[in-house]
Amino acid sequence: MILDTVDTLSSLVLLSVLFAFGSSRIPALIKVIAFQGVVVSIVPFFIGHDMGTGGMVFTAATLVIRGILIPLSLHIAIKKVAIQRDVSPVIGYHASIFCGLALIVAATVISRRLNIPSISDAQLLFPTAISLLVTGMFLLMARRNAIAMVIGYIMLENGIYLMGTTFSVRALHIVEFGILLDVLAGVMIMAIILQNIKQTFDDVDTTLLRTLKE
Amino acid sequence: MNQFFAALVLIVAGGFLSLVCARQQTFSKGIAVLLISAGCLWGLVYAMTQLLGAHNHFTTFQYLNIFALTCKIDGLSAFFLVVIFMVCLLAAIYSFHYMGHSLSPVKDAANYFFFGLLIASMALVVTAANMITFMLSWEIMSLSSFFLVIYNYHLPENRRAGYLYFVFSHVGAMFIFAGFGIIYKYTGNFGFGAMTALPETAKVWAFFLFFVGFGSKAGMFPFHVWLPHAHPAAPSHISAVMSGVMIKTGIYGILRIYMLLDLPAPVFGYFVVAAGVVSGILGVVYALGQTDIKRLLAYSSVENIGIILIGMGMGMVGVSSHNPLMAVLGFSGAVFHVLNHAMFKSLLFMGAGMVLHKTGTRSIDALGGLLKSMKITGMAFIIGSLAICGLPPFNGFAGEFFIYMGSFKGIGLDQAPFAMSIVAIVSLAVIGGLALACFTRVVGIVFQGEPRTKAAQNVKETGSTMLFSMGMLAAGCIIIGIFPRFFFTMCLTAVSALNLGYARIPVTPFELMTGHITFAAFVFLLVVLVVAGVRSFFYRNKPVFRSGTWGCGFTQPTVKMQYTGSSYAFDIIGFFRPAAPLTEYHPPVTGRFPQKTHYKSHVADIAERHMDSAVVRPVLYLFDKLRWIQHGDIHLYIGYILLAIILLLFFI
Repeated sequence: MILDTVDTLSSLVLLSVLFAFGSSRIPALIKVIAFQGVVVSIVPFFIGHDMGTGGMVFTAATLVIRGILIPLSLHIAIKKVAIQRDVSPVIGYHASIFCGLALIVAATVISRRLNIPSISDAQLLFPTAISLLVTGMFLLMARRNAIAMVIGYIMLENGIYLMGTTFSVRALHIVEFGILLDVLAGVMIMAIILQNIKQTFDDVDTTLLRTLKE
Repeated sequence: MNQFFAALVLIVAGGFLSLVCARQQTFSKGIAVLLISAGCLWGLVYAMTQLLGAHNHFTTFQYLNIFALTCKIDGLSAFFLVVIFMVCLLAAIYSFHYMGHSLSPVKDAANYFFFGLLIASMALVVTAANMITFMLSWEIMSLSSFFLVIYNYHLPENRRAGYLYFVFSHVGAMFIFAGFGIIYKYTGNFGFGAMTALPETAKVWAFFLFFVGFGSKAGMFPFHVWLPHAHPAAPSHISAVMSGVMIKTGIYGILRIYMLLDLPAPVFGYFVVAAGVVSGILGVVYALGQTDIKRLLAYSSVENIGIILIGMGMGMVGVSSHNPLMAVLGFSGAVFHVLNHAMFKSLLFMGAGMVLHKTGTRSIDALGGLLKSMKITGMAFIIGSLAICGLPPFNGFAGEFFIYMGSFKGIGLDQAPFAMSIVAIVSLAVIGGLALACFTRVVGIVFQGEPRTKAAQNVKETGSTMLFSMGMLAAGCIIIGIFPRFFFTMCLTAVSALNLGYARIPVTPFELMTGHITFAAFVFLLVVLVVAGVRSFFYRNKPVFRSGTWGCGFTQPTVKMQYTGSSYAFDIIGFFRPAAPLTEYHPPVTGRFPQKTHYKSHVADIAERHMDSAVVRPVLYLFDKLRWIQHGDIHLYIGYILLAIILLLFFI
C-alpha cells in the first residue's frame, strides 16, 4: 500500500478526532477544530481533481472560513460569555477516546459495506468522512457545554465535506459553499443564543435548557 | 397556460406589494385590490376561453425534472377556475371598503398577502396534474387560509377557531396523503394516470380515505366542526371566499378522484348520497338553531355541500346502473350547484359583512329593521336568501332542478337505485323546506321588523365597492336563474371531462329543460308584474298609512313584542331534538308582578359534542402517555436524530 498525501491527511484528521475527544478545555478544542478544518479543506488539492480557477477560489474560501472565521468567532464567543472553560462531559474523557476508537473502527466497516465508488485511490478518505460524521454526532451528545456542542456540529459538517470530495468535482463547490454558509450563519446564531442562555441561566450548560420544557 | 401563470403571478405580486408598502395604508390596500382583481379578471377570461373553446383544450406545464410540478387544464378544472376567479374578483373589490383603517397596518397587509396566496393556491389545486403539485398547493391553500382565519388574533376565540381549523385541515390532508400513498404503492409514479389499473380493494381503500380527507375540507357532516368556528372568525370577504369557493376544492377533489379511479361499483354512489343526505338535513337544522349570522351561514354551507354530494351521488348511481341521462344530470346538477352556491353564499356573507361592519354585531336577535336603512344590502340579501332556498326564478332553483331531474330518472330503476333516488328526492325536499324556514328567519329578524337594540338604529350603508360586489352577485343570481342555458352548457363541458364513457352527451333534452326554466321564470315575473299593477290600480286613490312593524294595534308597542330568532325556529328545532339537543336557561316567571327574567338557548352540534369524548380525549390520553419523549434534554434529542438516521440508513 502506497502512502499517498490524502491518506496522510486523513490520518491527521482521525488523530484530531481523538485529540478532540480527549481535550477537557474549550480553547484546546477550538484549536483542534481549526486544525481539522484546515486539513479537511486542503484535501481537494491533493485528490487529483483538475481544478479550475473557480475551484481554487472556492477551496481557498472554504479554507478561510473553516480555518479562521469559524474558530475565531467561537473564540470571541467564549471570551464574551463563558467563564466556565470546562467542556463538562456526559461521558468521561477516557471513555470518550475509547468510544472514538470504536466508532472509527465501526465507520471503516460501514464504509466497506456501503461500497460507494470513489474517484480517489486513497484508502482512508471515505472511512474518515464517515467517522467524522459519527464522531461529530457523538461529541454533540456527549458534551454539555454549548460551545463544545457547536464544535461537534462543525466536525459533523467537516465529515459531510470530506464525503462530498469523494464524489464529483463539479457540483461539489456550489453545494458545499451553500452548506458552509449555513454553518457560518449557524455559528453566528449560536453565539447569540449562547449569550441569551448565559444571561438567563448564568451558565452555558445545556442541561439547564430542560427547565424550558412545558 | 402562460397567461394562467401570469395571472397567478399578478395576484401573488399584489399581495406581496401590499406587504412591502404596508406603511402607506391606503396605497397598500389599493395596490393589493387592484392587482388581485386584475389578476382574477385575467384568469377568469382565460378560464372562460378554455371552457368555451370548441375542443377540450388540454394544456400541460412542466417544471423541474425529478419531482415534477405539472399543471393541466381540462373542462372540470376550467369550470372550477371560473368559479374561483369570479368570486375572488368580487371579494377583492368588496374588501377595499370593508377593510377599514386598522391600528396595525402590517396586519391588513399580511391579510392581503395571504389572500393572494390563497387564490393562487386554489387555482393550482384545481389544475394540478400530479400528486406533488396537488399536495403542495393543497397545503399552501390550507396554511394561507389558516392565517386569514386568525386575522383578529387578539381575540382568544379566534385563535381557538384558527387552531381547530388547522387541526382539521391537516388531519384531512393526512387522509389525502394516505390515499395517494396507496395509489403510489401500486402505480409507482406520482402522475395521475394509470390509477384505473389498481386492484379493487386498493381502490375502495383509496376512495374512502380521499372521501374523508376531501370531505373534511368540504365541510361534510361529521367533519364540518371547523366551519362554524372558522367562518365567523375570518373577515367577511374571506368568509365569502372560504365558504363560497375554498370548500368546493373538496368537492373538486372527490370528483377528480372518482374520475381517476373509475369506480363502477354502485356502493360508492349510495355512500355519497347518504353522506349528502345527512350533511344536508343536519346542516340546515343546525343553521336554524344559530343566533350568530355568520355561524348560520357556515352551517348553511354544510347543507349545500350536502346537496352537491346528493347530486354527485345520483350521478354515480346513474353511472353504475348504466343510465347516461341520470348520470349526466346528477353530475352536472352538482357542478351547477357549485357555481350557484359560490355565488349566493358569497353574496350572503358579503351582506352579513356589511351588517357586521355597520352595526358591529353578528347576533341576529340584536338586529332588526335593517331593510329600511340598508336598502341595497337588504335587497341583495333577500335575493341571495331566495336563491339559496332554491326558489324560482333564481339560480339555486336551476341547480337543484337538475339534481331533482336526475333523481327522478332513477325511479325507473329497480331496488337499491330506486330507493336511493326516492331518498334523494325526499331529502332534497326536506332540505329545501327547512332552508326556507331558516332564511325567512334571518331575513325576517335581521332586515324586517323594528331595530331590537341600539346597534341596529341609525345605520347607513356606505362603501361603494361593497355595494358593487353585492349588486353584481345578486344580478348574477337572477341572470343564471332566468337564462340557465349558457351556464348549464358550461357544466356539461365540465362533466364531459369526467370521461363517463358517453362519447357525446346529447344536448337536446337539456336545452328543453333549460328552456322550460326560462319560460317559467318569465311567467313568474309576468305574474308578479300583473299583481303589482293590480295592487297599484286598486290603491290608487286610497290613503296609505305607515306605522311600526308588529304594532298590532297596541297603544304602547315596544320592540320586545317581536318574534325573536329563537322563538321562530323553536318548533322545528324541537322536532329534531335527538340530532340537535337544545338547552335552555330561563328562570321561571312567578307571581302577579314578576321580576325581570331572561331566556337563553343553545343548540348543540352532536358532531362537536361527541368529537370531544370520542376523539379528543383518547388522543390526548395517548399523547399524554408519550410525553416522556419530550424529555427536555438536548442531548437526548440529538440521540433521537441519530437513531432516526441509522434506522433510515440500514432498514430502508
